[in-house]
Amino acid sequence: MRLFLNGFLFQLRLSRRSPDTFLVCVTAPLLTTVFLSINAYTGRHELTSYAVVAPTLMSLWALALSVAGSALTEDRDLGTLEGQIAAPAPMALTFLGRMCSVVVVGSMAFAETWLVAGALFGRWIALPHPVVSVACLLATALATAGTAGLLSPLFVLTPSARTLQNTLTFPFYLLGGVLVPVSVLPQWLRPASYTVFLSWSADLLRDSLATDPVSRPALRLLAVLALGAAGYGMGMLLLHRVVLRVRRTGTLTRT
Amino acid sequence: MTAAVHTRGLTRAYAGRKTDRGRDHLALDSFDLRVEEGEVHGLLGPNGAGKTTLCRILSTVLLPTGGTAEVLGHDVRTEADVVRRTVGIVFGGERGLYGRLTPRQNLRFWGALYGLGGKELRRRTDALLERTGLGGRADDRVDTMSRGMKQRVHIARGLITDPPVLILDEPTNGMDPVAAHDFRAMITELRTDGRTVLLTTHDMGEAEALCDRVTLVDRGRVIATETTDSVGALLARHDRIDATDVPPEVVTALRALPGTESVTPLGGDSIRVVTADADTVGEVLRLLVASGVTRVTTAPPGLEEVYLGLIGRQGMRVRP
Amino acid sequence: MEPLLVIRHSAANAFADMRAVYTWRIWTFGWLGRMLAQVTFFTLLGRGGDEEHLAYLALGNSLMTCALECMSVVASTTWERISGTLPLLAAAPARPVWVFFGRSLQWPISGSGTSIVALLCLAPLFGVSWQPAQIPVVVLLVVLTALTTYCFGLFLAALVLNANGVRNIVSSAAYLVMMIVCGVNVPVSHWPAPVRLLADLLPLTHSLHALRLVGDGAGPGPVLAATGLALLCGALWLAAAGVAFDVFMNRGRRSGGSDHF
Repeated sequence: MRLFLNGFLFQLRLSRRSPDTFLVCVTAPLLTTVFLSINAYTGRHELTSYAVVAPTLMSLWALALSVAGSALTEDRDLGTLEGQIAAPAPMALTFLGRMCSVVVVGSMAFAETWLVAGALFGRWIALPHPVVSVACLLATALATAGTAGLLSPLFVLTPSARTLQNTLTFPFYLLGGVLVPVSVLPQWLRPASYTVFLSWSADLLRDSLATDPVSRPALRLLAVLALGAAGYGMGMLLLHRVVLRVRRTGTLTRT
Repeated sequence: MTAAVHTRGLTRAYAGRKTDRGRDHLALDSFDLRVEEGEVHGLLGPNGAGKTTLCRILSTVLLPTGGTAEVLGHDVRTEADVVRRTVGIVFGGERGLYGRLTPRQNLRFWGALYGLGGKELRRRTDALLERTGLGGRADDRVDTMSRGMKQRVHIARGLITDPPVLILDEPTNGMDPVAAHDFRAMITELRTDGRTVLLTTHDMGEAEALCDRVTLVDRGRVIATETTDSVGALLARHDRIDATDVPPEVVTALRALPGTESVTPLGGDSIRVVTADADTVGEVLRLLVASGVTRVTTAPPGLEEVYLGLIGRQGMRVRP
Repeated sequence: MEPLLVIRHSAANAFADMRAVYTWRIWTFGWLGRMLAQVTFFTLLGRGGDEEHLAYLALGNSLMTCALECMSVVASTTWERISGTLPLLAAAPARPVWVFFGRSLQWPISGSGTSIVALLCLAPLFGVSWQPAQIPVVVLLVVLTALTTYCFGLFLAALVLNANGVRNIVSSAAYLVMMIVCGVNVPVSHWPAPVRLLADLLPLTHSLHALRLVGDGAGPGPVLAATGLALLCGALWLAAAGVAFDVFMNRGRRSGGSDHF
């Protein structure tokens, strides 16, 4: 637990010094404005909840990508990764701690988008199922952190990490049904969608903002968590390979 | 005759950086310097002496806060554009080149910035690449090159406009000895062009090897300007003798000799004796040999001794 | 003449950077694919509404991609600080704005490519249609949009050249604001007067208007008028960027210190 906390505090300190981590706090309300202005124009007010859910999930995802992309590479540049690998502490825990703190910053995005929808467009969204909403946000945050655990070693192992990082944004928002339900996508894409935790999160979060009762919330939460855990597990396996490589070659420098 | 570089009362204060007494830190303090055309002039001083500040002012990268500075009669403040076309600069260190470009592309880029183009730019680029020994690697990426090769690109860059005045700020900083040697050979060659070169360094050997005159600088002030030869002559009558395993009573005897200027411990069991005239050298040696000391070396003083001596004396005067 | 010479040789850097980041394959399947996904994403927001608005979104967001990519100039301008060449630029007689104009030309070029593919291949899936004779005009308008928006980006780049930490925030905020106010997703007339004023200052508003006029089959008169406004805006931003870069250099000469350059 202490390790986890240390990683968490370390990342919080880092993110305070790097304004890029707060990038999402600037982009989230602007994205909400884009979505809601389109909704207002088409007159489809019933989609307001979509416009609030989407920037939140996009922010979380973008943040996870950015941290996953920089966490290991920064460690590598600072020369601290070798130190961490050499340290006896279970790296996986430290790493998860670092990820979670970032997700906290990302969750602020939800509050921002909710405020923008109310203050700018006069659409104050009620929370008819607060428990489900909050539980879903938490589960999503955890799953995002877990998935970042998968992405991070992936970035270290691929040569054009930055490009990959950039590529994994909008295609995933589409696939994850972040703004338009998966049902709009072509039939053949749907199975792929269900392996992306974002699609479960988006559906559940939107349902929790509607007045109708939410069907099988526990099962759906579990799906989100399970997919996140699967990503995390695969990530740790990959990380293990990275570590082995470091021990063998003495460095993480890609050849 | 117009001087190549002429500064009068040149002062540069940095706001925000304060001295112990709460005044603005003066990187240059009423700095007077005259460098004649065609001269290779050394600016010698420790780090933080103000050498780089002077180079930056002369190349219009920095404005003076007081006094004047002229390059070939053009004021750096009011005629900056003329000065920029007159001065070539080479800053030491790794930075200042585009690593993803080739030397050829780097040179063409900087040439273009000075208004060169077409055939003239190509001709000059090719000639400089040849001259600086980069011909064979003209089309390799700069970031694949060694420190010494990069410095050649820096020099070529500084010469791309064929400037009458060339400023080299700590050009061999961080170079390995072989690269530094090559570099000095290149500068020696540059003198034959009749170009004025202002070179800053904290390396005595470099100044001795390259310069006609040197100006000793410390804490933003000129301590002395001399020809390299006469600075040497200043202490030519001095000699230094290093000896190891000297018994304490002999050290006392050496100190008592009238012609001895100083006896300083060098660390370990060694001492250095500096003498003020040739006769004393013989006497010191006799004393040492008589007491059984066998590890003795003598040498004429380097610029370093002069430099340390002068800066030391100046330091005594400035400090309260 | 001299600016062109400087731009040409400075652009060598832009292409070298481009080659270092992208291969053709990575550009096509990575970057282009991602941008097309973004266009699709925003276009699908209009689903369920009328067909016309779907085409409106597809066209707007397709052109938006080049504006977005041009905002990368804010980041790549600060690469000059990393290479340590700023003091040498300050010592050179050429105006820095021409160096920086050439320095990041890879973005308007790559951005134009993305936008052209999006407009000609993706947008027709959502109801946008072009006559063969219109295609050269479309291409010209895309290039014009990229270059004029690039000039706006250069101005922002000059402002944050010294504030490394905020560059990503500035470029992201700038493109999202453009996306909101310039008529990409909803008509400019939808916004209150002060927002419309802001939109009028941005070249994208006018070049996008010109492109929509072409799509609607309008005559050359209105198209040229809108194009002229876009050019004028771009020129003004370029002039402002020139002044901002000069101010940056002069501030450095006065304040000194290696922290500035």
